[in-house]
Amino acid sequence: MEVTVKAHMPGLLARVEVNVGDKVKKGQTVAVINCMKNELMVNSGTDGVVKNILVKEWDEMEVGSPMITLETA
Amino acid sequence: MIKKLLIANRGEIVRRIISACSDLGIQTVAVYSEADKNAFYLKKANETYHIGPSNPVKSYLNIDALIDAAKKSGADAIHPGYGFLSENASFAEAVVSHGITWVGPSPAVLHAIESKCYCREIAHQNGVPFVPGTLTLVKSVEEIHQYVQVQGCPIVLKLDKGGGGKGIERVQEPGEIKGAFEKLSRVGVLAFGCSDCYIEQEILQPRHIEIQFLADSYGHSVCLGERECSVQRRFQKIIEESPSPVVTPKEREALFQYTQKLVKGMGYQGAGTMEFLRSAEGHFYFMEVNARLQVEHPVTEFITGIDIVKNQLSIASGEKLNLEQGEIQFQGHSIEARVYAEDPVSFAPSPGIIQKVRFPEMDGKYLRIDHAIEEGGSVPPFYDPLVAKVISWGPNRTEAIDRLKKALEEFHIEGIQTTIPTNLLILKSPKYVSGEIHTGFIVDMYSQS
Repeated sequence: MEVTVKAHMPGLLARVEVNVGDKVKKGQTVAVINCMKNELMVNSGTDGVVKNILVKEWDEMEVGSPMITLETA
Repeated sequence: MIKKLLIANRGEIVRRIISACSDLGIQTVAVYSEADKNAFYLKKANETYHIGPSNPVKSYLNIDALIDAAKKSGADAIHPGYGFLSENASFAEAVVSHGITWVGPSPAVLHAIESKCYCREIAHQNGVPFVPGTLTLVKSVEEIHQYVQVQGCPIVLKLDKGGGGKGIERVQEPGEIKGAFEKLSRVGVLAFGCSDCYIEQEILQPRHIEIQFLADSYGHSVCLGERECSVQRRFQKIIEESPSPVVTPKEREALFQYTQKLVKGMGYQGAGTMEFLRSAEGHFYFMEVNARLQVEHPVTEFITGIDIVKNQLSIASGEKLNLEQGEIQFQGHSIEARVYAEDPVSFAPSPGIIQKVRFPEMDGKYLRIDHAIEEGGSVPPFYDPLVAKVISWGPNRTEAIDRLKKALEEFHIEGIQTTIPTNLLILKSPKYVSGEIHTGFIVDMYSQS
């Protein structure tokens, strides 16, 4: 099944912390959003393998912007 | 005198600078990013220019776009405000090289004082006490271990070119050195393009006391009193006041002398601030210089009646400072509360749309509100969370506190969360009222409640 990790806060994408093919655990930080000069961690809600990275550094994020897709077991 | 001023900034400070220009008959040019295109304060400027997308790197930090707007508008001067490029020597250099007047210290001075170690060296040479630590950069974990073996912990590792609360790592015990050094190096490269750092001995429960000064191009300078900015969260100020509840007239005199020596030693011209720490034992140590207009400048303006922005503009125009130290009178007490778009307890950011706003009842003698908010206006997620500054004045500290509390209680903002409840909690806390404040005040306040 495919799951999309979405932005929980608006801002600018500071960095993505995973690569395509990486195994991630539930709760693991997969990206960081810079919101009002604060770095906010975006954590995966599930275990999975990174399938696609949909964002790049400095992209503008809104709440709900799709960021990363994961393949889950 | 300057004829047309471009303000390379956003938010409340743009309004503040425009208001000084209106009084002086200077035309104003405001710039805006995509996110700020509908900001109401833009209407107050004579001209406006779009300088790029919401990402500040491509707009408010974009030197080429700013110079381009200045050229197009025919502005003969640029005021950088605070934050963004305000202390950036390369920007100042670019401005000057295009024949535009830079409102601030010269590019050469800005370049030199980017280095905190240089400023510490100036203090050292001029007999001004500074925070104990190294006068030179530390290059390795081993070097820090060697320092700690002799001087002990706790220490603070600081980026030589850090600022804005970034680039500071506390080290409580030797085991933390490696992690702190590596984290600092990473932040340094990412945020400041330079990972140089040095050591300061940690001053426990310090008070943050700063001296506002004005210095003209003819070697004359005056001090406009101190501001106490000890109430901070994450090294960022939240409540500021003048005078400080603890600085004695004798100490103030000494701080003025230190400031004048530092100003002279640095060859500084314009408005600026020398920051000092006061230890719990009452010793003062020079920490750093802020080479810009400060967010908290209104408290100084309230107690001195001197307009700092107007003085910046006349100094930049090459005029002589028409003030002598003996003429400057300090009257009453002024306190500023910064209203941030943040959760009042966790300080998590809270950008959004302002649904409703009700301002407190105004009386210019006792209250000033510098802000950039209006109903339906947006507080974008891309910039600093400061949305308003509420500044009170009273003949004494107690009255200034009461007036500020009343104003904050009457100030309603809906649609975003703000730190107004935090400000009120601070102003009502017995420790604040009795003046027992230090930079860990907010952490203590929340851990005890």
